[in-house]
Order: sequence, then C-alpha cells, then structure tokens
Amino acid sequence: MAALRDIQNKIAAVKKTRQITRAMNMVAAARLRQVQERTERFRPYAAKFSEVLGSLSEGIDQEAHPLLAQPEQVDRVALILITADRGLCGSFNMNLILQAQKFMTQQKSEGREVAFYAVGRRGIDFFKRRNVEFAQKLPGVMNVVDFDLATQVARLGLNAFLSGEVQEVYLLYSRFRSIVSQIPTVEKLLPISPEATGDEDESSQEYLTEPSAEEILVDLLPRYLNVRVYSGLLETSTSENAARMAAMDNATKNCKDLIQNLTLAFNKARQAAITTELMDIVGGAEALKAG
Amino acid sequence: MDIVNTGKLTQVIGPVVDVEFADGNLPEIFSALLISNPGINDEEDNLVVEVALHMGDNVVRCIAMDVTEGLTRGLPVKNTGNQIMMPVGDATLGRVLNVVGRPVDGLGPINGKEFYPIHRPAPSLVDQDTTVNVLETGVKVIDLLVPFPRGGKMGMFGGAGVGKTVIMMEMIHNIAMQHGGISVFAGVGERTREGNDLYHEMKDSGVIDKAALIYGQMTEPPGARARVAISALTAAEYYRDEQGQDVLLFIDNIFRFTQAGSEVSALLGRMPSAVGYQPTLGTDLGELQERITSTTKGSITSVQCVYVPADDLTDPAPATTFAHLDGTVVLSRQIAELGIYPAVDPLDSTSRILDANYLGDEHYNTARQVQITLQKYKDLQDIIAILGMDELAEDDKLTVARARRIQRFLSQPFHVAETFTGTPGKYVKLEDTVRGFKEIVDGKHDNLPEQAFYMVGGIEEAQERARQLKGDDE
Repeated sequence: MAALRDIQNKIAAVKKTRQITRAMNMVAAARLRQVQERTERFRPYAAKFSEVLGSLSEGIDQEAHPLLAQPEQVDRVALILITADRGLCGSFNMNLILQAQKFMTQQKSEGREVAFYAVGRRGIDFFKRRNVEFAQKLPGVMNVVDFDLATQVARLGLNAFLSGEVQEVYLLYSRFRSIVSQIPTVEKLLPISPEATGDEDESSQEYLTEPSAEEILVDLLPRYLNVRVYSGLLETSTSENAARMAAMDNATKNCKDLIQNLTLAFNKARQAAITTELMDIVGGAEALKAG
Repeated sequence: MDIVNTGKLTQVIGPVVDVEFADGNLPEIFSALLISNPGINDEEDNLVVEVALHMGDNVVRCIAMDVTEGLTRGLPVKNTGNQIMMPVGDATLGRVLNVVGRPVDGLGPINGKEFYPIHRPAPSLVDQDTTVNVLETGVKVIDLLVPFPRGGKMGMFGGAGVGKTVIMMEMIHNIAMQHGGISVFAGVGERTREGNDLYHEMKDSGVIDKAALIYGQMTEPPGARARVAISALTAAEYYRDEQGQDVLLFIDNIFRFTQAGSEVSALLGRMPSAVGYQPTLGTDLGELQERITSTTKGSITSVQCVYVPADDLTDPAPATTFAHLDGTVVLSRQIAELGIYPAVDPLDSTSRILDANYLGDEHYNTARQVQITLQKYKDLQDIIAILGMDELAEDDKLTVARARRIQRFLSQPFHVAETFTGTPGKYVKLEDTVRGFKEIVDGKHDNLPEQAFYMVGGIEEAQERARQLKGDDE
C-alpha cells in the first residue's frame, strides 16, 4: 500500500522535527534563565546609575556637555536596531523589523533622513534584501552579550552624533516584560534628555563632588550611554530566548497534533486495506463454493 | 420489428432472466428479446432483455433493461433477431429517450427512419483523427491547467458532493450553448431531478433542438444503467459517421456504468475480482471508451463525470477510466473544504495537450509556473503547520503569498450556480486567463489583498474588487 508507506514516512519525519524543536525549547529555557538572571542583576545598577546621573545633571547647563545639547533642528537621525542572529523564535524578529520600518517611514514623512545601524543577522538580512542602506552592521554578535559589545554599539551612535552627522540617536530593542510578552521599544539615546535620567522629585540629592559636576559628567555621560545600550542588548537577548522557548514549545505541540492526526489517518487506511482484502478473499471463496 | 421466433421464460433472478428456446432457434449474444411484463404497464412487449450468455440446454441468460417484477415463468418471449436498435438521426433531437430508444418525455412516438444497433465496433486505427485543437471552456482553472482538446475525451473525477455535476452543467452551458452543433447527453445512474433540470434548462435556452438526451437514471435496474451510455454513444456516432458533425457527448456518470456492470456480473456467474468489481472491468470500459473517439469524418468531444468511491483514486473503477482519457480534471475534497469552487486540484489534474507545441510557450510556461508555485506552497505547508509563517525564508514567504492568491484566483462563479451563490456567472476568455495568472506569478499583484482574488472572473475584476475592499476600510 503506497499510501500507508507515505503516511508512515511522514509520521517519522514529524517525530524527528519534534525532537529538534523540543531540544531547542530546552536550550532556550536554559539560556533564558541565565540571561534573565544577568538582566535582573544589572537592573539595580542601571537604576542607580540613572538616579545619580539625574541628581548630578540637575541644574547643569544644557550647553555644558555636547551629549546634553538639544539640537535646534533635526534633519538626520540614527536608528540602532537590535535583532537576534537566528530565527526559530516566532514573530520576535519580525515584530522588531516591522517597528523599525514604521519608525523609518514616520521619520521620512517628517522630512528626516535615517542613518541605519543594525545589530543581529536577522534584521540585517531583511533590510539587505530590500536594498536599505546601512551606516553600519554588526552580524553574529548576539550570541555573547557583554559590556564590550555594548560599548562597541554605543560608540557607533556616539561617533555619528558627535561628528554632527546625525542630530538624534534612537535605540530599537525588545523589552522583556514576561515570558509571553516582549515589546519592541524605541528609545531616544542621544541627546541625553534630563527627564530621561530618572525620577527627579524623590531621589534627587545634592552631591558634593570633587572635581566639579561638569567634569565628572564628561566621563559619566558616555558611560551612561553604554549602560543603556547594554541593558537594551540584555533585554533583547532575554526576549529572544523567551520568544524562542514559546515558539518551540508551540512547535512541539503542533508536531504532537500532527502526529496524532497522521496516526489516525494511518490506522484508518490500514483498517480499510485489511477490510478490502478480507472482502476480496471472502468473495472469492464464496464464488468458488457456489461454482 | 419482425419477430424471428419465440421462447419461454424459465427463471427470473432479479435483473437477470433465463429463457428457453426450441432446438436450433437460440438467439445470438446481444440479441434483444421482448417480453410483456404486466408489472410495468399494460402495453405489449414493454420489457426488453438482452442476451448475455448461452447456458446450455437451449437456455439463454439475459439482462433486463427494465424491472422484472411481475414476470412469471412460462411467459412467451419474442426474439427480434436484432440487437437493441437505437433510433438515430434528427428525429431524436429535442427528445428524451431511454436505454432502448423509447421516448420518456411524453411527447409521442419517435418517427425515426434509421436505427443503429447499440453494439458496434470501435473506429479502426486508420480512421482516427490526430489533429489537436484547444477547446475554450471559459472556466479559468480548466483552460489554464487542463486544456480540453477538440475531439478529445475529458474526465471529471471526484468523490461524493465535490461538484462534478455542477462543472459538467457549466461545461454544457459554456460549450454546448455556444457550440451550435449537436450535443448528446447520457444520464447514467445519477439523480433523475438533475436530468429533469437539464432538460428544462436546455428547453429554456433553446438548445434542446440540437440535443438528444438519453437517460438511465438511478431508478432504473442495473441492465439499463449498464447499457445507456452505449445507447447514447450510438446516437452520437451517427452524427459523426453519417453527417460528419462535431458532436459533444456528455456522460454523467461513467462510474455508474461500471457499477451497474458489477451488479449484474455475479448474477451472470462471473467471479468477482478486486474490490468486488466484475472481472471484465477493463473490457467493459475499453469497449465503451474506444468508441468515443474522433475520426477523419467527424469528431466526438466527450466530457465524462467519474465518481471516485471514498475519494480513493486508486479504486479499480476510476483507475481503469484514467487510462482512456486525454485529460483528467480531479476534484478534491480538501479544496472544496477551503470553499474554493470549482474544487479542481491543480496539481493532480492533467491534460495530454498541456504541451508547448499545442498551446504556445506563454500558456505552457504560465501553467507550469502556477503548478510549481502551488507545489512549493504544498511542500511548505508542514513547516507552516509546525513552526508558523514567521520562520519561512523571505523567498518562501513570497511564494506562499502568491500561491494563496493563485489558489483563490482559481475559483470562479458559475452561471449554473447563480441561484446558490448569488453571484452572476463569469465566462473568462482563454487569453485573459493566461494573462491573469502570468501577472500573478510575475508578482504584479502582490500588493492586492488575497480576498480580492476570490470568486472573480478576469484579473481586472480582482483589481476592481481590491479597490472596493480598500474603499470599505476607509
């Protein structure tokens, strides 16, 4: 029976796929735990950093540091898009990409040009295919997210900003809210706006500094940029693993359903084949008896 | 009809009766015998039986063409000395006949001068016509992927309720009504209501004067259903051979012919073969199908419905029929379940003339491109089922998008289904069909919503629908 063989082969194929998706699910779960821990450990540091910076920069003239200077007119912005390097994580990458497209069309409609920086292979591949020009691309770096990478990415934005090439720098990353919800988020990195640096009403403290606050800021502001990029990268990586875990879990479930349906079809076909043969044999025997 | 001699009824086994004749008076195989059956009506000689076997001891076994209830042993049986003779020629046009050539439309007797025996040899090798012309049907999926050859044999395969008869009716509407030539319709073992509908529709549109309808529907005993296709074919052959016409022959449903054959086969003492069919399945079908052909004198273009038991195309009846046809339109339940009508399976259906030499490069390449796209979509479906659309590569996503548009564009509102769908039927010219599909596979319409392609005629209508849908959104 050709049909039976086909169904059997298909069941075997789906079973193998299920093995893979199940393994990927477990790997993603393990990695998620790791990276989530790192994210959570990093969060208090980032929060405190913002707080201190907020207090320090209070009352300081905007012109005191180039990274604080609000531009008079914006005609070119930079977008740093962070995506994963690999797929098999559901609509995770696509959501980020769509958000990036939306951002770009919006900027263009306001008459601004966009310098496009992409981190992660998925985003790069997508926009390369659509002939979008990159200012810079960093493929294959999302495997190991560390502070060096954050510095590297932050420097891209910083250089473009300081050279006057762009007047604003935005970061598009995926905020990790929970295992089932990751939200593509656009944040303005540069210029650093005072209100972005944390709750000022409550936590604002007067610090006595040596040397002066202005001088400290020169060192602190680029570092702050690194911290924000790093947290963006960490969030994205967490989201990626969460999304992959969910997607693979889903895929495993789909495989299970498929196997169930196929097994049912197989059993039915097998039963039908047996019945047909039985009927032929009985019919033949009856006919012989009569003759 | 002259009566050669008479015999005596000796046994009645359902649709099969035994008749004893005097020594040396045995009728030939296929001879028509006449019996007066009071169970049918009071008329004389109202039951025709056909000799099928010589049993020995001067007994012949016959298949009845009508019900045998009411027969008693010892009834006289008249031998006509001839086969069942089918009235042929213009006298049959506009009439409804049964398997033995008697009128059933209540319009009085048929004053035919010419009669043909229903069992005739198939045209010889040298008489067969080999030229190929494409016959436009106005149905997109058929014109594109299963082009009908003029003078060819096309089969419509499908399980119960996927729309074989509806497509057949649309073919009659699109071809026979515009054709101008003679059409012959054989109703074999299908619903009597459908036969009646067709008769009235033809009458209303005025083509009945060019058509002969020969019915042996579900109510008839197996003998009638096993012969009615042959009777109808005989009528068609006359126009081909004597008048040199291009005849259209519609048969709905050829499977019932096989089924009826198997119903009487065991009663004739033949051992059932695979799946309970008659051992002579191949011969039975071959004898019928080989006669449906085009000769140097005239042509018979035939469209046949083939019921597929339990949706299993490997069943011996449809499998044997496949071999005889120039092309097969396979209707699939999966596609009907998607709500796409006509539910033609674009990957299973084929035509002998789907060839660049007959159709030209543009049509051929477009058809192949459509099939490739749909095949790829089918291959990707497992991945989509397991991982979802998002995991597909960019190229594959585009393929899927186009395949879904093509799938919807293959649907088409039918004239004969107007009352059910509420959408007026569409006839699409062959060149429009080819152009439309070519534009879709070339990616010209990637921006239109999928829904715009569903149940429309030409590609312009899809564009128009897309504009409407957009208008509704705003």
